[in-house]
Amino acid sequence: MGMFARRVQNLRPGYRFSCFCAAAGFMLLAAAVCPTRAGSLKIGEISPLSGRLAKQGLEIDRGIQVAIDMANRRGGVSGRKIVLLSRDDQSRPGVAISRAEELCSLKKVVALTGGYVDALVGPIAAVAQKYRVPYVASASLQKELAQHRNRYFFRVSRLRGFIEPLCGSLTEQFKPRRLAVLYAATPGATELAQDLRSCLATRNIRVAMLEKFRPGTPDFTPLILKLAAQKIDVVVSAGFTPDHMLMVRQFKEHHFSPKAYIGPFGIASRRFVAAMGPNAEYLYGTCAWNPGITMPGTEAASKTFIRQFSERYQHAPNTTNMHGYTSAMALIAAMRSVAAAGLPLTGNHIRDALSRLDMVLPMEHLAFDAHGNPLHYHHVVVQIQHGRLVPVFPPGRAAAAAIFPAPAWGKR
Amino acid sequence: MLSAVVVSALATGSFYTLVALGFALIYGVTRNFNLAHGELLVLAGYTAYWLWKTWALPFVFTFPVAIVASMAVCLALQRLFARLSEPLELNSIVFSFGIAILIQNAMRLCFSGNYRLIRIPTLNHGAGFNALPVSYGQLTLLGLSLGAIALLYLFMYHTYPGKALRATIQNREAAALAGINVAAMGILAFAIGGFFIGLAGPLFGCIHYLYPATGPEATLLAVTLTIFAGVGRLGGIILAGWLLALAESITVLYIGSSWREMIPAALLLGLLALKPRGIFSDDGR
Repeated sequence: MGMFARRVQNLRPGYRFSCFCAAAGFMLLAAAVCPTRAGSLKIGEISPLSGRLAKQGLEIDRGIQVAIDMANRRGGVSGRKIVLLSRDDQSRPGVAISRAEELCSLKKVVALTGGYVDALVGPIAAVAQKYRVPYVASASLQKELAQHRNRYFFRVSRLRGFIEPLCGSLTEQFKPRRLAVLYAATPGATELAQDLRSCLATRNIRVAMLEKFRPGTPDFTPLILKLAAQKIDVVVSAGFTPDHMLMVRQFKEHHFSPKAYIGPFGIASRRFVAAMGPNAEYLYGTCAWNPGITMPGTEAASKTFIRQFSERYQHAPNTTNMHGYTSAMALIAAMRSVAAAGLPLTGNHIRDALSRLDMVLPMEHLAFDAHGNPLHYHHVVVQIQHGRLVPVFPPGRAAAAAIFPAPAWGKR
Repeated sequence: MLSAVVVSALATGSFYTLVALGFALIYGVTRNFNLAHGELLVLAGYTAYWLWKTWALPFVFTFPVAIVASMAVCLALQRLFARLSEPLELNSIVFSFGIAILIQNAMRLCFSGNYRLIRIPTLNHGAGFNALPVSYGQLTLLGLSLGAIALLYLFMYHTYPGKALRATIQNREAAALAGINVAAMGILAFAIGGFFIGLAGPLFGCIHYLYPATGPEATLLAVTLTIFAGVGRLGGIILAGWLLALAESITVLYIGSSWREMIPAALLLGLLALKPRGIFSDDGR
């Protein structure tokens, strides 16, 4: 610093003045183009944009970006532009904490959104509570997370949204003789498996085989042989996209043909269908939304989102994009209601507005309970038929009958 | 059921071997701990995927291109690794960690964050041995890994550069004193390492799946097998791969899949307690 000051002093007065003018001009220009200019509203987003969960994090981010763009085009919040400050947590909880600290304490954001999986959402929620900044998580499932009496934490998804349609379809549609529930060794998948088993027990369906596996397991052969030996006819596999890719291919390799294979996570996407090709046929998944699968009465809003998204990113959105969009829309609606009431946009006012929120979005009728859980988040069970995702359960939202039992590998 | 598990474990172990071979060779010769190994492997897989998907190149022909590309990348990396100073292992870890992040992000930019799969239906079909359930994919893995080990053995034991490589692995300083150009051996090790990475990459995209962040898993596997077999024990890698895969499969079959990592890890630790320089090492003899 001292050396720099000496060099400045050594400059000729004319040069010094020119440098000063240039620096001042640069700062003015920076202030003019800086997105955090006065009058705008800063929302923070923390998602895994790199690392292991980058795919899902980027999808969440794109949904949020589209929501912010749409809101700004409609005048922002009472004429104030919404500025999104996106941060990458690198799929690591420690980084998520530091990014949340930065956004809340240094950038003074009015609210937070984004996040994928509870291991990353949990730490962000704790920081949000510390700074009294409302946080609407885009993708979070674990029950425990909403039981900490964190009044600043809200989320647009919950585990029950998966359990009810799964339990319902197994009871009413598939009626398995011997059911296996396989699950990845992650907190969300483990909880799903346990809750599903409890739900099925109340409906007199016994889980014949409950097995945990590590996500990314390269060889499922021993597990598949066990399934075959136990004469399992329906498999629920709470793994993720790559696990389904490997498991289904190895099912085929070992000629193991269950009547139904249901993957609550990672199957109901067009990318999965494209990657798997014909091997994806007859598989079941669940989703809260997809192009063509929307809450009744929200078809127009759904089409608008699809159009805006496709124009910006040159591809159709998926359910994860919609989760990002929904969380941002919840925040925007809450901020608008605070502004409409003539109140300052503080964390507490936005939080209160979120607690009172009641709006219908393409993915769900969004209203929160006292713990910040969405009251009406429900998945539909879809089956891949002719390369398309077709809703088959619940009956009120089914577009076609399920092809059950799925034909054996040799007869396809 | 047991025979099917054994066949599948041997195939998986062969896959592990192909993944680990390049790392083991480079580390053995140069002492460069290449944490970007997995990323290079995934990159080779993406190269094959791109050729297969975009140019509709038959899968078999993606191998030569992936091998040449991997060798070129490895040789370029060697130039950078060669500039590192002592302590070599530590510096190479830090350096290659940065390279790994760089490659990972480059792959995400070029190939997006979607899961990719090279779909070769023939490999999923049964090979027609009634008594032994084995698929063409498993036979390919077994054949390729055995072929790769045989090639490497012939090269290492029956050619002068191979013998020089072995000497460098055994004692770098003594090899230099004996007139072996150890710097050239480093280049050769990276080139051969690149060859194996290029061989394993397309299979990785076909047997496994491609995703920019899958690299660290492959690296971890390579590190485990290298330590398991003993540094420089290239022939032991295939046995270590088979042993690891067998331990995993039998654990899943008889104990439960939640123990799949625990039992082999305990086995590995136990064996290393008995043979700290690797199960196939001479332990100073």
